[in-house]
Amino acid sequence: MNTVTENIFHLNGSGLVRNEPETVNKIPGNRAVWVGIFAELTEFALFFIVYFIAKAHYPEQFNQGPLQLNTLAGTLNTFALISSSYFVAKSLASIRVNEPEQSIKWLWRAVMCGVIYLIIKVWEYHWNVDQGIQTNTNKFYTLYYYMTFNHLLHVGWASGSLIWAILGLKSGRYTQNNHLGLTAIACYWHMVDLAWVIIFPLLYVLR
Amino acid sequence: MSQLNKLNALDISWIMLMLITLANALVAETADKSLLITAVICFSIAFKGRRIMDYFMELNHANKTIQLFMRGYFYVFPLLIFLTDLCSEQLAAITTF
Repeated sequence: MNTVTENIFHLNGSGLVRNEPETVNKIPGNRAVWVGIFAELTEFALFFIVYFIAKAHYPEQFNQGPLQLNTLAGTLNTFALISSSYFVAKSLASIRVNEPEQSIKWLWRAVMCGVIYLIIKVWEYHWNVDQGIQTNTNKFYTLYYYMTFNHLLHVGWASGSLIWAILGLKSGRYTQNNHLGLTAIACYWHMVDLAWVIIFPLLYVLR
Repeated sequence: MSQLNKLNALDISWIMLMLITLANALVAETADKSLLITAVICFSIAFKGRRIMDYFMELNHANKTIQLFMRGYFYVFPLLIFLTDLCSEQLAAITTF
């Protein structure tokens, strides 16, 4: 047993995370999920590059576009995603101190945030239609719908993976000593949050 | 103050991320277009990304290659956002066929 694994696990963020065997100089979760994460981030990177080029060609549309969007909906969705990421991190911290019930509670909170995100997005799309904002209104809105709907799909299936993790915790598949699958799901969820960290200012804030 | 001492890095990160998001929303509603605003927003993207990666995703002590690519992503894209605003005419010219 090396010195790293001899150390006791501590809650993430309490200052002793460097003693955590599953993260120190290692790939959090597993390799497969990181292949997925980098593939997804590459996809979003392509969207961003298309956005940059389109903005350079249609500056007026990209200047006026964000002004017509529902900033409240975008902000509430950002709150929901950041909170969900926080809850997922708390869930992981709970299983490390052998509190599976607490871990499940945190994951349910994260799932609720995912559901809230989806509800707000549906409301926002209806609101857009009422304002006359359609997919073909102009280049900005085409990109807006393409990016946000694509992201919505990611939130949808990542929420499904959180429910899968809850089932894993309930069945005892994930335990204090064996929860790499849960870590992998957590990393994927954080990636979905990270993509939104760029999408939100691009579409709602910047002119 | 005692409650504040009980907060760990996760709690503090969550509070900071929520406050930055709120500030971004205020900018969206009130600020006019300017390069300074773009620079501030780009900085906030880089900061939020780093905070999520280091504390929520736990990359601060993880595999160096993954750290490099993930952190790089959140340096490169905020920079590209700023450069798109700074050099929009040149970008339009080199992407016109």
